[in-house]
Amino acid sequence: MSSHDLKPRDISKKTDQLVHIDPAELPKLPYPYDDWVDPVIEELSEAKKKKRDVSLDGVTNVDVPVPETDEEKEALVAKFLDGLRKLLSKENNWTFLQPLMLSLDNCVKCNTCSNACPIYNESGRIEAYRPLFRSDVLRRIVNKYLKPGGKLTAKFTGADIDLNWETVARLAQMSYRCTLCRRCAQTCPMGVDNGLLSREIRKLFSQELGIAPQELHADGTIKQLETGSSTGITPFALADLMEFMEEDITERTGLNIKMPFDKSDADILLIHNAGEFLSWPENIQAFAIIFEAAGLKWTMSSDLVGYDSVNYGLFYDDAQYVKVTLKHADIAKKLGVKKVVLGECGHASKSMMAIGDRTWLSESNIPRESAMVTLKDIVLNGKLKIDPERNNFPCTLHDPCNLTRAMGIIQPQREVLRKIAPQFREMTPHGVENYCCGGGSGFAIMQSHNFPQWRNMISGRRKFAQILNAFTREEIDPGVNKYVCAPCSNCKGQIRDMINYYDAWEKCHLQYGGLVEMVVNGMTDVPEGFIEWDDFH
Amino acid sequence: MATFEWEDVKIEVDEDGFMEEPDQWNERVALALASTEGVDELTEEHWKLINYLRDYYQKYGIAPMIRKLCKETGFPLKKVYELFPSGPAKGACKVAGLAKPTGCV
Repeated sequence: MSSHDLKPRDISKKTDQLVHIDPAELPKLPYPYDDWVDPVIEELSEAKKKKRDVSLDGVTNVDVPVPETDEEKEALVAKFLDGLRKLLSKENNWTFLQPLMLSLDNCVKCNTCSNACPIYNESGRIEAYRPLFRSDVLRRIVNKYLKPGGKLTAKFTGADIDLNWETVARLAQMSYRCTLCRRCAQTCPMGVDNGLLSREIRKLFSQELGIAPQELHADGTIKQLETGSSTGITPFALADLMEFMEEDITERTGLNIKMPFDKSDADILLIHNAGEFLSWPENIQAFAIIFEAAGLKWTMSSDLVGYDSVNYGLFYDDAQYVKVTLKHADIAKKLGVKKVVLGECGHASKSMMAIGDRTWLSESNIPRESAMVTLKDIVLNGKLKIDPERNNFPCTLHDPCNLTRAMGIIQPQREVLRKIAPQFREMTPHGVENYCCGGGSGFAIMQSHNFPQWRNMISGRRKFAQILNAFTREEIDPGVNKYVCAPCSNCKGQIRDMINYYDAWEKCHLQYGGLVEMVVNGMTDVPEGFIEWDDFH
Repeated sequence: MATFEWEDVKIEVDEDGFMEEPDQWNERVALALASTEGVDELTEEHWKLINYLRDYYQKYGIAPMIRKLCKETGFPLKKVYELFPSGPAKGACKVAGLAKPTGCV
């Protein structure tokens, strides 16, 4: 069967692999990638296949177990159905029951969502990646197995489905072939949120069956709660990193800045995604340089979890989300700051700001602000001396989904760029219409097996094309350095990986980084060349 | 978990080839792991990098920031890639017996 003829009821078929990705069917990329051919997605070894079910598409980023006996399979299916029942009950799912029910009940199958989905389109339109397909599988299971008389009506309505282990295993995998970018939800005329449905499916699997990607759960949330950070940075290691960064700032800029920690008289608590400490220290340094130059009274926290804004629970599990966000709220409360500023991280901003509106309650309801807004206030109010000529290179802006579509933070970062970057130009489309970087919902940190290849060539493909299209043919030449400003740690990781996968430094001299680096690059109090153009990322 | 064998070395590794028990690391193990990275010989420069990573990991429980690694070994990142073609995290850290880096790095 072709991957294009698949029907929702085929999901229960007992075949080794339901979907086959053909690189020849992927949409063409723009110049200079006209002749670019992606390799076939690497097949997992037999040993790896024995340890996890890959029966959807041969790709893996969530380890779905391989039950050996029919009894085990039945037990897992029963557990899934129990979990689904809980998902649909107010007592067990007060958080998201309403949008879940609206999304299950109101789809009119118009397929507007399909046109909006970069993964579906960039895969060469594989049915199983269609937002509607995944939701329809879930919908059919609910209608047939949980509604009174459902089994009878399913036969007549043509919406039949078999709930066997294959269906359950593939549903888990399908929920991790969506970056939760919610472009589909934005475009749906009925207000159906297929992204939310993906996330509810992930939640069911994590909370009821203990199935979640290792990077998000064991090496993510659990590690964060145990060591203080998903990166494993302990307060002891943090002190070393900060000492190095201070020395490095002095060496690069001549400035003497003491990184402020646990200051009881600070107005602002700044929280970064701790990935920045290890992979993009210049981002942390740039924040410090700007905040000091602007005369802000600010601090960071060295409490466990207080120096890592990450909250991967947002992507897969309500209980894990709450554990982490309450720690963040407690730390802010303890410090007595007037507001929390979220560094350049999209999902952390959403977790503390938008979702935080329902979890940072009463005394913990400390104002939270995206750094985009803080930076706009600083730059537009003339608190820094900036020479835009220092940023006179072609530059475009990536919109992190969680900042833009999810929270409507669109203009502040643009106002900053218009002020400091003479060659800033938009991607098409942008703002709330943006495309996901391809690494959303934690995809960017999933670095094992054949998944990185999948996300570089499929989930990030539209973004990569958008980036290329933001520059003219003359500019795309490797003789011209150009910059993608991506104010989000996760998006930066994905863009870095795509630059490597597509060899885009060699071919186009494409560099990436955050917004604060560009601000400091333009500051006349700092020697020229804060942004380092080099060929490794 | 899988058992990886090379000459007289026998260690447990995860599916990405990183050591499950970093305490078991020794110089023979480094040679064994290097063979999986397409590095046939460990030169003085390789050892400088490996020893730096190892010391940092033992003290702080994580791999160092790449910028710090480059600065303190004196190797530009390009050189790190020359020594370990899959890069500092996937290549050098693996051979030095570190656990796979986690989080948004």
